Amino acid sequence: MWAYEKRLQFPVKIKKTCPKTAQLIISQYGGPDGELSASMRYLSQRYTMPVKKVGGLLTDIGTEEINHLEIICAMVYQLTRDLTPEEARTAGFDAYYIDHTKALWPQAAAGIPFTSLEFQSKGDPFADLFEDLAAEQKARTVYDNLLRVIDDPDTRAPLKFLRAREVVHFQRFGEALEMTKSKLDHNNFYYFNAEFDQQFYKPEKHC
Amino acid sequence: MNEKNCCSCPETLAMASVPSQEWCELYDWDTALKEGTIFTCLNFPIFLADKGNSNLNTNGSALDPVQQEREVLMGKITSISFAINDLTLYLDTHPDCPEGTPLFYQLSKERMDLLSEYASKYNPLTQLSMVTASLNNSDYAWAEGPMPWEGGCI
Repeated sequence: MWAYEKRLQFPVKIKKTCPKTAQLIISQYGGPDGELSASMRYLSQRYTMPVKKVGGLLTDIGTEEINHLEIICAMVYQLTRDLTPEEARTAGFDAYYIDHTKALWPQAAAGIPFTSLEFQSKGDPFADLFEDLAAEQKARTVYDNLLRVIDDPDTRAPLKFLRAREVVHFQRFGEALEMTKSKLDHNNFYYFNAEFDQQFYKPEKHC
Repeated sequence: MNEKNCCSCPETLAMASVPSQEWCELYDWDTALKEGTIFTCLNFPIFLADKGNSNLNTNGSALDPVQQEREVLMGKITSISFAINDLTLYLDTHPDCPEGTPLFYQLSKERMDLLSEYASKYNPLTQLSMVTASLNNSDYAWAEGPMPWEGGCI
């Protein structure tokens, strides 16, 4: 169950129309390392996690990622809300404009539509947690790249915030990895799949 | 305080390790929002981060005093709520932390009061705050106020 709160996790107040920037930032809505992908990844993986607290963490981070996609959408919306017909034609937003006008639609910067192929829910705690750790690093790289090419301070402030969250989430997934390891025998973490081979999984504290 | 409530296993071949974060000095809540974390020890900005000046209250000076007051209250709600978000993730992996848990309750109480104040003065941000603000039972105010993506309190 989710309850809506009528505010953004980080304020977005962009005054200058810039369709080109919108076209780049939209990647963090529907792109391969975007926030939609992140939230669906964590919220899909959580059900079968053997360590309950890791399922809890995936729920909380997956929820925060939904806040993040709302921030990204608010940025794209504000960057294009005063788009003129002339800008629609010339400002690097024309291909998107033809299909979606000024509406929000999840796609990557290069126009590839959002797809669940962008994330994995594998059903093995190590495969999934390493996917999550990698996802945070990839998303951080996208924010680094955006910060390198975008100058407008109103646009940079939320991007810096979102980048910092990737680092914090990486740390938390690292701690989730340690929690998972602590329930398994460190002589061979790969002896069985704790999400599937339930006859072997005894959630004792080994270390 | 040196707590070790998120255990670390011995390092082994073919497995990665991430050290557990220990409780460290916190930013004030407005700085924490700007930096993206409440924990000073978890802030690793990129060298590009200082290019350009971020200003969270960009339209603060252009507003009339009533509107400015509204923005200030919204700002407080945003900062406190974010501190709770970040603290929640820490407590997810450090549930026995003696510093974090009381702070969680303290901040959550402050947040509840601020949400009630906002609902009674302006418009509700949560449905629960329609009740805690003791709004008139015949007023259905949920649809009032701006949508969050509009970029301001108006």
